[in-house]
Parts: sequence; C-alpha cells; structure tokens
Amino acid sequence: MKLGFRIALRFLKSNKGQTLLIILGIAIGVSVQIFIGSLIQGLQKGLIDKTIGTSSQITISSQDGNLNTKDYEEFIEVIRKEDREMEAISVALDNAALMDYKENSQSLLVRGFELNVADGIYDIFDRIVEGTYPKNDNEIILGIDLKEEYDMALQEEVTINTAEQKVHSFKVVGFFDFKVSSLNTGWGITTLQTAQNIFATGDVISSIELQLKEDSVFLADEIAENIKKDINREDIKIVNWKEQNESLLSGLQGQSISSYMIQVFVMISVVLGIASVLAITVIQKSKQIGILKAMGIRNVSSSYIFLFEGLILGFFGAILGIVLGLGLSFAFTKFALNPDGTPVIDLYINYSFIMISGIIALLASAFAAMIPAAKSSRLNPIDIIRNN
Amino acid sequence: MSKILELRNVNKIYGTEIKNQVLYDINLSFEEGSFNSIIGQSGSGKSTLLNIIGTLDKATSGDVYIEGRDIKKMSINQLADYRNKTIGFVFQFHYLLPEFTALENVLMPYRIQNGKVSKEIVRKAEEIMNLVGLEKVKNNMATKMSGGQQQRTAIARALINNPRIILADEPTGNLDSDSTETIYELLRNINEEYKTTFLIITHDRRIAEKADRIVEIKDGKINLDIKK
Ligand SMILES: Nc1ncnc2c1ncn2[C@@H]1O[C@H](COP(=O)(O)OP(=O)(O)OP(=O)(O)O)[C@@H](O)[C@H]1O
Ligand SMILES: [Mg+2]
Repeated sequence: MKLGFRIALRFLKSNKGQTLLIILGIAIGVSVQIFIGSLIQGLQKGLIDKTIGTSSQITISSQDGNLNTKDYEEFIEVIRKEDREMEAISVALDNAALMDYKENSQSLLVRGFELNVADGIYDIFDRIVEGTYPKNDNEIILGIDLKEEYDMALQEEVTINTAEQKVHSFKVVGFFDFKVSSLNTGWGITTLQTAQNIFATGDVISSIELQLKEDSVFLADEIAENIKKDINREDIKIVNWKEQNESLLSGLQGQSISSYMIQVFVMISVVLGIASVLAITVIQKSKQIGILKAMGIRNVSSSYIFLFEGLILGFFGAILGIVLGLGLSFAFTKFALNPDGTPVIDLYINYSFIMISGIIALLASAFAAMIPAAKSSRLNPIDIIRNN
Repeated sequence: MSKILELRNVNKIYGTEIKNQVLYDINLSFEEGSFNSIIGQSGSGKSTLLNIIGTLDKATSGDVYIEGRDIKKMSINQLADYRNKTIGFVFQFHYLLPEFTALENVLMPYRIQNGKVSKEIVRKAEEIMNLVGLEKVKNNMATKMSGGQQQRTAIARALINNPRIILADEPTGNLDSDSTETIYELLRNINEEYKTTFLIITHDRRIAEKADRIVEIKDGKINLDIKK
C-alpha cells in the first residue's frame, strides 16, 4: 500500500502538467457544484424567510370564536412539552374594525399582542421605522403605507369603531413596515390588554401563534399533527404554513430536484474525465507497471498505484474546488448587487454541504480510478519485456 | 550439487493461426551455484528461454521446475513473490523506472518485498552501486544516465535482494571491454561468495568461455552444451 502510494505520487509528480490539468478539472466540477448548491440553497432560504420568516408557522385557534385563558394556558403547556423547541410562542387577539382618520375611513385588523413575545415571531421592534411600540392603553401602531396614503404623523389621534358600534380613541405611537403591502395597510397593532378592553372580550385570545426553530421549519406539518393529537379537541383548529403554501413548496421542490440533477451531471462528467485520463495514464505507464511486475510486485499492489492516483487527484481537486467554489460564491455576493448595495441573492454557505461535495468528489475520483486499477492489475509483464 | 532449475520438454510456439515454433523440446537443468552462459544467433530463442525460466512467459508445453517446484502449480502471487525474492533479472533492454533515481531503482525490489527501506539496506545498495562504478550518478534520474550506467544500475538492482538465481540477458551489451571485464569479475565474485546461480545470455565469446558451462541455442534447439 505504502509503495503504491509512493509510486502514485512519483508518477503524478513526474507529469506535472497533466496532473495539474486533472486537478483543475476536478476543482472546476466541485466549485460549480458548490456554487450552484449555495446559490439554490440561498435562493430557497431567502424565499422561505420572506414568506414565513416573520409570520406564524403554526396557528392554533378555535372553530367557534375565542379561546379562554384556562384553555390556552393548557394548550401552551402542551406545546412546551413538544420534542421540538419553539422559537417563539405568542398569543393574539384579532378583531376587525373600522378606523377613522380625519375624513378618511379604513378597515383594519386590530391585533392585540403581548409585544415582547410577538416580537419573537414578527420582529416587531425591528419593523418599526418611526416612533415606538404601544406600551400603554389605547396606543396603536400602523403600517407605513397608511401613513403615506393619509399623510399621518406620530402622536395623532385615530378613532376605532368596533363591530359593536363602540368608538375608541387611539394615539398613533409608531409606524411599521412589514414589506408586505396588505399588512402595511391592513394591520393595526396594539397591546393585548387594550384589545381585550375595547372589544370587551374579557380574558380571551383568538389564536396561539408559533414560530419553529430554523432546523424544524420543514417539520411544521408533523409538529402541528402532534400538537393536534396532544390537545385532542374537535373544536380546535391547527393550521401550518406548509398547507397554506403548497405552490411555494412544490416550486422549491422542483428547484431542488433540478439543482440535484445539475450536481449529479457535474459529478458524472468529473468521473468520466478522471477515468479517461487515468486510463490513458495506465497506457503511458504500462512499461513501468511491466517492469514492476517483472520485479515481483503483486497485482493488487500495482492496482493500488492507480487507486492512489485517483485519491490524490481527488483530494487536491476537492480542496482546490472548495477554495474556488467559496471564492466564486463570495465574489458573487460582493459584485452581483442590487442598486441599494445588498446582494441580489444571499448565498447560503452550508459547510456540511461543502464538506459532502468534497468527499463525494474524493470518492468519485477513487471510483473513477477503479477501471484503470483493474487494467493495470491485468497487465502482463511479458508484453512489455518482449516488445521493448 | 542439487539442481536448482530444470526444464523438461519445453516447447514454445508463438501465434495461434500462423504458428511460429521458437523452442523445440528443450531439456536442461542447472546446478545450484553454477555460472552458465547461453549463446546463440540473434533470433535463436535465448530471451524466450530466459523469460520462461523467469516465469514471465509460459511454455506452450513442457514443465519448468524451480527449486524442485513445478511453476505451473504456483499461484499468481506466489510467482510474483518468487520473481521478487528468488530471481534477479537483468533484461536485455535494462528497463529502469524513469520516474525514479538510480538508487531508488536499485532499492525497488527491496521495497516491493518489505514496504520500507532501512539505513542498512540503503548502505548495501550504495555499496553495490560503488562496486559497479555508479557512486557518482547514484542520485541521477534513471533517464539522466548513459546506456552503460543504466545497464549497471539494472545489475545492481538484480543483486539487492540476494536472489538465489540471476537471469541476465546480455548484461554487458552496452559496455566497453574493460567495464565488461570488471562487471564479469563482480558477478563471478558474487557467484563464489553467495553460491548464486547465474544464467547469462551473451554475445561476448570471452565472457562465455569463462563460464562453468556454455549452452548454445540454435534455431530453438540445444546445439552445444559444454561443461568445464
Ligand atoms: N511475441 C512474439 N510473437 C511471435 N514471435 C516472436 C515473439 N517474440 C519473439 N518471437 C520470435 O521468437 C524468436 C526468438 O526470439 P528471442 O527474442 O528469444 O531471440 P533471441 O535469441 O533473444 O535474439 P537476440 O539475440 O536478438 O535477442 C524470434 O524469431 C522472434 O521473431
Ligand atoms: Mg534476446
């Protein structure tokens, strides 16, 4: 084995140009794979982040109206017992209302949150682009789109008309920007306390909202199912983001499959490349193999030479490929920019994916070396010795 | 003295459709520790005979016994090990590995046997190389040597594993008469000191006549067999 490695190394060194060329070939394959993989993963993560990153991923509500304290505290207890830890568990009381501002009237979904907790899902504090968040009774924050449409200012008064024809005066303490115009025009956010007061509901909520930890986002359906089983009540409705975004999911899946296809074909071309070059090497080196066999090297050892050549080429090809791939990816995020200076696509640099790409290249190289290795094992020394 | 090598009714026919018989019913045996020369015209079948004895080539029919063992009954790995340990080859076209230095070439049969080399074995290799006059070029790449130096490197390589048999195909073909003389003396010394059996193909009458025995091959048959 050691001798095989030694000879392999020497063969590769004695033909530097060819060696570098194969290493470069493998490296380009690996770097394309890493780049495309990072691109697609970044694209998907970006899409998912935009779609569900700041929204409820599992929502628990009652079929008929609101949930009272006793129920929802019990449910939250159940949720906390789930195997999967939650990123955030928040409660909300939502009611439709009509908002009047000067002579304008606007329908509004008034959402009552415990803001500290709801921030875990909606990033509310970061989304406030002007002013502050509602702390006291009858304070509200509105979307930036409403501000622009009606030319509103901080600390102005708006009135909220509930479905029960009650009128409440609110102070606008801030404006938020969720980057989604339906939310920026349709939501008004206040404290849970205030919402419970003005809608005279008492101590109830309309839904429990959950955000999952990043690595279990795609298990939302399973987790929802578990929660449903544990709560075990007919009147409780649980929806998860996956059932609400089926077309997005199938789009992502299609993208993943095409990305795998590209990666598989890149690998196949790398394998074919190495195999054909190594096959030529066996012919180039057949004289040496013949001499070694005449001196008594065993067939297995002579085939190790080419296996090691494959492994060495694969190893350096993979390392160079990773360096190139990362370089290409960073260059892409540095130079392909939107007008505002943010990258067009945030690549997702997933180190375990990169490691796996490298290891696959290494294994593929070893695999590609099998054919030449077998060829060298079959080579008969007399053919070399006789034919000078 | 015992027979270290024996050939019984060895025939060699090349080709399947157009048959070209090169060796005819060769019966030969060699004593352990003897120094033999094989002579004959070009194309008479000398190299073919040597390659069959060296297990590189196979006889079309007949048997070859080495140290009393029938080589037909040996596995591929046994044959490889036998070539490595028992035989030292010097080929007609010397055949060094061009990627390695002269010293590395000399050490190669040892590496095949043991994997790694010790200081002692490197010293031994250098001693042999000094004996054949290669001390100045021992670290040259195999390709960066003259034909004669390459040939002497091949001789040093054949000696490194202390084989019991040395098969040499015109080992001094590229050398001037003085060097030929020195190499011959060296081989003769090894023969006497270690009782190594030598089979040397040569065109050089003077060398042939100094051997214990001369076998002449003519058209694939033994034409003369003179023992001294
Ligand atoms: N592979 C082969 N196929 C067919 N015929 C062959 C083959 N190899 C050798 N021969 C023939 O066998 C005969 C003997 O060849 P061999 O190499 O043994 O001769 P030799 O005595 O060593 O000659 P030289 O002194 O020139 O080296 C030659 O006539 C040659 O043409
Ligand atoms: Mg010959």
